[in-house]
Amino acid sequence: MKIRHKKAKKTLRLVFLVLVCCFIILPFLWMIMVSLRNRVDIFNPGNLFITPTIKNYVTIIENNNILKYFMNSIIIAVVTTIVSLVLGSLAAYGFARYDWAKREDRAFWVLSQRFLPPMAVVIPYFLMGAVAGILDTRLLLVICYTTFNIPFTIWMMRGFIEELPFEVEEAAYIDGCTKLQTIRKIILPLVAPGMIATAIFCVINSWNEFVFANFLTSIYAKTVPTSVMMYLSVSGVKWGEMAATGVMSVLPVLIFAVIVQKNMIRGLTFGSVKG
Amino acid sequence: MGKVLTQNNKRSFSLKNYFSRNPHAKFTAPAMLTMLLLSVIPTLFLAVISLTDYQLGWDFSRTKFVWFENFIRLLSGSDPDFWHSVFISVGFMVAATTLEMAMGFILALVLNSTEFKLKPLVISILIIPLAMTPSIAAQMWKLMFNAEYGIINYFLQALFHIKVVWLSPEMAFWSVLIVDIWQFVPFVTIIVYAGLRSIPQEPYESAAIDGASWWQELWYITIPMMRKLLFLAILFRVIDSLKLFDTAFILTQGGPGNATEFLSLHVFRMANAQNGLIGRAASIAIVLLVIVSVVSMYLIKLQRSEE
Repeated sequence: MKIRHKKAKKTLRLVFLVLVCCFIILPFLWMIMVSLRNRVDIFNPGNLFITPTIKNYVTIIENNNILKYFMNSIIIAVVTTIVSLVLGSLAAYGFARYDWAKREDRAFWVLSQRFLPPMAVVIPYFLMGAVAGILDTRLLLVICYTTFNIPFTIWMMRGFIEELPFEVEEAAYIDGCTKLQTIRKIILPLVAPGMIATAIFCVINSWNEFVFANFLTSIYAKTVPTSVMMYLSVSGVKWGEMAATGVMSVLPVLIFAVIVQKNMIRGLTFGSVKG
Repeated sequence: MGKVLTQNNKRSFSLKNYFSRNPHAKFTAPAMLTMLLLSVIPTLFLAVISLTDYQLGWDFSRTKFVWFENFIRLLSGSDPDFWHSVFISVGFMVAATTLEMAMGFILALVLNSTEFKLKPLVISILIIPLAMTPSIAAQMWKLMFNAEYGIINYFLQALFHIKVVWLSPEMAFWSVLIVDIWQFVPFVTIIVYAGLRSIPQEPYESAAIDGASWWQELWYITIPMMRKLLFLAILFRVIDSLKLFDTAFILTQGGPGNATEFLSLHVFRMANAQNGLIGRAASIAIVLLVIVSVVSMYLIKLQRSEE
């Protein structure tokens, strides 16, 4: 009797999980399905048996120049990541290996940068960009994205460096390595996996950013997330093309996310939780 | 010439002195200075703009300092939309954080207490909303919410014969909340699930011997053991729901009317090309900044005092 009760409970929990998963995956699946549908089929969601078409993908590549958006997104994400990783990791080393009076205060000041509402800082960035004449350039977006990726890198890398035993470094000093040599030859190889994970998160953060990209660019430096605005036309939204862009944009990120799954919690909480 | 040299020497000497007294600064200075330059200066600039009547496209020479006029207008209630925005922003924050923490916690408990082969698949599915570009995900939800040809209404009609106008003035707020829940319940779940996995077994064993009920175990062991983790999850949800922009902007543009005009969107409506009231928008942005800073500082202080 008790065993049957237990089994029923487990089945109930599994059903619950299946339902939740369906809810979570629905927008993603629907995006893939819509991207393969003709315009007529999109307005008839109940009809599941349609002839799939790749017309939407062809259209966005040929007519909408979507590859240019992708190019911008890639360049901006890569440059931002490199800059943040270099500056952030250095600072992270300082935070991890030295103890000074105001260290934790500074660390939380760094964390607080994560909490700046983008819609608030986008106004001064817009005006300063206009004065400097760099509105609608990739440079401006790189600058903006560095503001949230540097603090992110500091917190992430600090955790990874603190996990390395200090004895490893000491041994290197005893063997006559200078500080720089130690960092380059001993620490860097050891924190490389953490650095790669951090880099991937930086890329994802920059790839998905919308507010700065939407308000600081108009023609030349537009990135993929802002392309959704392009599909709003007088004759209604071009859902098929939008979904096709979505699939192309989300798939690489998902692959990246699966690679860093082990560090997902760390990445999601700005390195403040070491899962 | 000689004078300049000594001056330079003096300066480099003192800088050297500083670095030898603060060895960490060699490493932290480049990043800290970059951050000061990139976030503190724009914030100060924002504060200056909020004291002026600057409008989009104006020459700076035309701009006048109006001092606190923008803020007085906001606080005295002559901009009723502002208070509406504050109200729904805070309401959204409370609703989103509570619901997402509760649902995420329950989901993580279920996930933790059920063993099955496809668990990695479930975790991977949970990652989808977190990795999906928010603006694109919101656009997909907009299609799914469509009253005429959205898939949600199709199901509702087929199963229960009801039709909901999701983006109507009454429902829009809840629709934004649904999308937010979809996006961030997995966030809470993943964090809590990892926390549950890391709790040692011993306290539960001794609790079982003492005959503790499931609720007592949850309340006296599980939750206290995960305090820090839960706290951080709440901190991130509170701040991010206050900052909310992408989802609401794509889904409703703050409408219909001003039904979903959260603070960020109110800033946008003031500053956009049609209104261009940058000075007034900046003052609202400052208010948003203050709210976010106060809340996050309070929460961080609370957490640090416990450690």
